[in-house]
Amino acid sequence: MMDDAAPRVSFPTRYRKVLLGSLSVVLFFAAWQAIFLLVPFNPLFISKPSLIASGLVDLITSGDLLRDLAVSAVPFLYGFSAAVVIGVPLGIVMGWRVRVGYALDPLMTVFYASPLVALAPLVVIFFGVGVAGKALIIFFLSVFPFIFNAYAGVRAVDRLLINVVRSLGGSERDLYFKVIFPSVLPYIVAGARIAVGRALIGVLVGEFFAASEGIGYAISRFGDIFALDRMFACIITIMVIAMVLTEGIRWTERTAFPWRSGH
Amino acid sequence: MPACIEGRNVNLTFRPPNRRPVRALHGFDIDVQECEFLSIVGPSGCGKTTFLNVVLGLIKPDSGELRIRGKPISGPGTDRAMVFQEFGLLPWRTVLNNIELGLELKGVPGETRRHISRRFIHMVGLAGFEGHYPHELSGGMKQRVGLARALATDPDVLLMDEPFAALDAQTRDVMQVELLRIWQEARKTVLFVTHQIDEAIYLSDRVMVMTKRPGHAKKMFTIKLPRPRDYEMRVTREFNDLKLEIWQELKDEITV
Amino acid sequence: MSEIQVIDANIAAVAPADDLAEPPKGVWQRFEPTILGFGSIVVLLLVWEFLPRLITMQEGTKLFFTVPSEIGGTLWRMFATGAIWAPLGVSASAFAVGLSIAIVVGLPLGVLLGRSATLNAMFDPFITAFNATPRLVFLPLLLLWFGLGLWSKVAVVFIGALFPILINTYEGVRNADRVLINVVRSFGATEWGIARLVVVPNALPYIVVGLRLAIGRAVLGVVVAEFFGSQDGLGVVMVRAASRFQVDVVFAGLIVFAALSLLMTGLVKLLEDRLSRWRPQHISAI
Repeated sequence: MMDDAAPRVSFPTRYRKVLLGSLSVVLFFAAWQAIFLLVPFNPLFISKPSLIASGLVDLITSGDLLRDLAVSAVPFLYGFSAAVVIGVPLGIVMGWRVRVGYALDPLMTVFYASPLVALAPLVVIFFGVGVAGKALIIFFLSVFPFIFNAYAGVRAVDRLLINVVRSLGGSERDLYFKVIFPSVLPYIVAGARIAVGRALIGVLVGEFFAASEGIGYAISRFGDIFALDRMFACIITIMVIAMVLTEGIRWTERTAFPWRSGH
Repeated sequence: MPACIEGRNVNLTFRPPNRRPVRALHGFDIDVQECEFLSIVGPSGCGKTTFLNVVLGLIKPDSGELRIRGKPISGPGTDRAMVFQEFGLLPWRTVLNNIELGLELKGVPGETRRHISRRFIHMVGLAGFEGHYPHELSGGMKQRVGLARALATDPDVLLMDEPFAALDAQTRDVMQVELLRIWQEARKTVLFVTHQIDEAIYLSDRVMVMTKRPGHAKKMFTIKLPRPRDYEMRVTREFNDLKLEIWQELKDEITV
Repeated sequence: MSEIQVIDANIAAVAPADDLAEPPKGVWQRFEPTILGFGSIVVLLLVWEFLPRLITMQEGTKLFFTVPSEIGGTLWRMFATGAIWAPLGVSASAFAVGLSIAIVVGLPLGVLLGRSATLNAMFDPFITAFNATPRLVFLPLLLLWFGLGLWSKVAVVFIGALFPILINTYEGVRNADRVLINVVRSFGATEWGIARLVVVPNALPYIVVGLRLAIGRAVLGVVVAEFFGSQDGLGVVMVRAASRFQVDVVFAGLIVFAALSLLMTGLVKLLEDRLSRWRPQHISAI
């Protein structure tokens, strides 16, 4: 009754995408390194992979990189957790109690659409440059994806499944745990994926403004002293972290929620 | 012998906000005997699905009496189970876990649940698919899961709301044969709603024709074809005479 | 008592019974969502306005606070005196240039990637990496390269706006129904004909969604770039005002940016809806 098993394909064909991708990344870095054989290299302006790599190694071995990341991670975690803890229940209430949804939806939309980053200077001035201020910025930036996704998730619960559980004699509690929660979870995880990106912006905004430590500060400081190799090293580190987080969540969505098509 | 399902003068009007009220059922009477297979056919919107939901206990009628084995209906209960047209399987649960759902809600312990569910997986012909997820199954297979789930709680009455409407013609035919086989084995009272006269005649002991909205029973037909029913019976003269008779009754109710 | 209706009643599709009287159509019920929505915004503004008058605040914090009326007044002044136009113009030009370059680069590239699976596979790691990364991380580098003027801003806007356009375009192109392509081909269409008749109409709604997302990101880009690396523009005005504790100016600036962003995305959404009318469901992207 099931479809035939997938036809036999050779290794290169199946992993074509990954192979091509890796190839192009390798080519890119090779070209980057090699271009300075033709073009003069100005270390005040740019760096090259070999130097970046050695800069990265230095930062790691000296412990600076880890230290900066750890410093940045603290407000990130606080702000992000607060966003989950406040955003998800709020979104669920908005979806469950229709009137609350009506009342808050436009308000939330306005907030979501405004460049809230613009208020960052205010937050920094009021709360100083410590963990509190940064965490607050991160919170404001990352809470809205959670609110909206939880809201959408609750509204998308299949009414039929509610009837099914009710007809089998399920209580309200059964409804929450067996239908509503599993239905909404994929939406929340998708919200987390979006929120991560915004939270990272929050980290950087906070640190660029007025900080004396953290990875964002490190980038701008290295820029000030024209240590391009380390600057690039830090930038690439953040890119990798961002990518790992985002794609990691995406992978989780695909494996944990295989029935959700096209998200 | 008292009827398994007894309905007297059931009335129901829907009052949705911002719209005019809709009278769904009016003076609806019904008697379904133990272990009988009764089909209800009627025009679209006549209230047949609504009635099923009333029997299921999800809607309360405005007035009238409705009893299952003498007990009045006051909400959903484990003596009745429904098979839904759109399957209604929880997508995040495996086939086995979906079948267990009713038992789980009843508080049946794990080992027993699995044991019972396994029995029904075999009964509906899905052995080997215990660990599959609904999105990996075809329509016919999903409906088998729905059927197994409904049977697992051992209800007195099986309610089926156009269960094969979402399947293609061939699968539908196959499922009808399967349903009869399973019904013979499980010995339940079945209340089956459908649009298709063929299906109703083929499956049932009796067929009720409902009027258009507000719905009530128009005419009851007894199907005297022998059991076990043969697929080839569908082309016999007897079958088609019945079909014509029922159609004549139904025709007037369908407004073009 | 949950408000979720138990029955999935398709009553809406059904004509009402003739013999029952029509209940009064509640004005409340029809406009409930709008009323509640506006109501909550109004309530929020009112509370904000009057709270400081009701509770006494420490002298120090009073300096940091502002109220809607003050913000409104500042906004009015900014427009009335024309003080806003110069900085807004600077910001707007960075926005426009950055967005235009993003479109000019993103659209053709998106089409190319949509048509060629090989190119797609090769560009994919870079697109994924840049898309996931907060573009702010490049700002110090861009400042180093372009200085404090227009071009570093343009660069930030460009990076922000490029990816939604690129990704959505390539999704739209890739997504064209093969069956339809074969149908059109069987009627004798050339490659160009196929593009015109099938690929482009199919991709158009996606492209417009990409544009809408790009606008939002572009506005963010301008704001952020101006905060950190600029000498003029509305964002700079806001930062300076913040350092002088002129909170009302900061909010006024925010409102201007937000309003413009909402206006532009709203217009694009209208276009989007119009172009998507033939689709059974909307392409949504948060």
